[in-house]
Amino acid sequence: MGDFQPFEQDFYQSGYYIDDQELGINFDHIWQKTLTVLNPFKPADGSIMNETDLTGPVLFCVALGVTLMMAGKAHFGYVYGLSATACIGMYVLLSLMSSLAVSYGCVASVLGYCLLPMVGVSAVAVFCSLQGFLGTVLAVLGISWCSLSASKIFISTMAMEGQQLLVAYPCALLYGLFALLTVF
Amino acid sequence: MIRQHQFPSRQKAQAQTTATTTMLPMVASTATHSQMVSLDTFPSSSVSEGLEQLALRLEVDVCRDVLPLYGESMKAPLTAGKCCQETKVEEPNMRMGNSSMDGTDGSQLFEDTSGVAAGPQAGYSNQQAGLQAAGFSGQSLLSDPMSNLAMAYGSSLASQGRKWWTRMDLQNGVKRLAIYKVKLDRFIPISKLKYYFAVDTVYVGKKLGLLVFPYMHENWEVSYQQDTPVAPRFDVNAPDLYIPAMAFITYVLVAGLALGTQNKFSPELLGVQASSALVWLIMEVLAVLLSLYLVTVNTDLTTIDLLAFSGYKYVGMIVGVVSGLLFGRPAYYLSLLWCCAAIFVFMIRTLRLKLLSEAAAEGRQVRGSRNQLRMYLTMSIAGAQPSSCSGSPTT
Repeated sequence: MGDFQPFEQDFYQSGYYIDDQELGINFDHIWQKTLTVLNPFKPADGSIMNETDLTGPVLFCVALGVTLMMAGKAHFGYVYGLSATACIGMYVLLSLMSSLAVSYGCVASVLGYCLLPMVGVSAVAVFCSLQGFLGTVLAVLGISWCSLSASKIFISTMAMEGQQLLVAYPCALLYGLFALLTVF
Repeated sequence: MIRQHQFPSRQKAQAQTTATTTMLPMVASTATHSQMVSLDTFPSSSVSEGLEQLALRLEVDVCRDVLPLYGESMKAPLTAGKCCQETKVEEPNMRMGNSSMDGTDGSQLFEDTSGVAAGPQAGYSNQQAGLQAAGFSGQSLLSDPMSNLAMAYGSSLASQGRKWWTRMDLQNGVKRLAIYKVKLDRFIPISKLKYYFAVDTVYVGKKLGLLVFPYMHENWEVSYQQDTPVAPRFDVNAPDLYIPAMAFITYVLVAGLALGTQNKFSPELLGVQASSALVWLIMEVLAVLLSLYLVTVNTDLTTIDLLAFSGYKYVGMIVGVVSGLLFGRPAYYLSLLWCCAAIFVFMIRTLRLKLLSEAAAEGRQVRGSRNQLRMYLTMSIAGAQPSSCSGSPTT
């Protein structure tokens, strides 16, 4: 262990090194994409989805499962089955609607990232039951937040114009199913 | 060979997309026989035009499907000045006719194998880089089967140690892509399906308004552009598949929700609902197809059009179920009645233009049993919608 010379990090290669082996997880990028999701009104950059990574989405899915479990519902099978079916359906729809080629990893990645507000809603469900008026309002808010940011990222990545609401509607259906799992 | 004789008579009657799908095998098969084999002896300008004509007839998009075969070494479009408006390929000053020039700069289109071995290194490395850059904006390899095929073909050529591309490679590439497209189109008509999903928000809004209130709309004709119907984006009267698909899924969810609020919510209900609704839909489309076949009416309604029309009634059903959930039973029946009437009128006005002859569609009285049969057919198709609407198993 001699010299600690600073090595130049290319932006896309600022990976996480353990034992001099790169894990391939880029925390910078995950954080950037999360920030994009959290602010649904800021227009998204079309290039953020250039490399698709599934680390963030898998993390969020596991977090959703954990919060659901803490609220007393062990619905892991439904979460996984639902997300797989919905990803496939969304991929088919987007490949038919857009003129550019779509990849399945991109769709799964975007949908997984935009699951973050739903994780927040189910975290609230741990502490107080959502089966009331306030719970419905919160669920609707979460759904619209998720679907707006998902459609925003899809629109900017695939350069579809005039179709944001059309893309947001199936996303809202999907996140509505997750909300149903959370609330009931 | 049989297809060649069928062409002249059918082509006039159906100037449709079905013509191209029957044309493709013929073109692909003649490509192996007649002109492609001896193209090396043709002058290069007509080679390029012939290849482009072939690509056009095969509906192979040269920019998207053939260019990635050659990566950055193929910077020239097949005819100078055309094509590739979307991609940022700069137009070079070299035409394809200069195939006898050497390829030191690597931006050569192709040259003869019998030619001089000129500048192989630059060409080869360009091709390698081009092949890697040929993926569409960093999508994964599983994305687009056409570009996968193109890349596989290109890399198979590169792995053979070939240093530059020839006309034969271009021909083979186009041929492979054409055959692949023919095979794919036999199973799933993807290009046809894409037409039905070319919608935007304004169209969807107007169409939903039409489905619920069709009484004020006057012009129900679908506009055409050189024998092909205009995309739904530009014409409210054109059928689409986005609304039926979304309406079907929403109906399954909402109906499951309605049934679930009476009992406890369980996800198995959703599966049952989805399957039964799907079965209803398929049976209805089959019945309409059968009746159209029996009446032997000459129409340009495709199966997908019928699917779209059958799917439009789910919008009314959703309105009914939602208002029933919100406002109780009387609201459910009232809104169901309104939506049944609306979809009945909508179907009649839409199908009238497609099934009846022009004279009857304009409203003049036309005698003849044939037209009466068509009128009955239209009415029964339109009438089937509300009946299956109200016969749906909810509440």
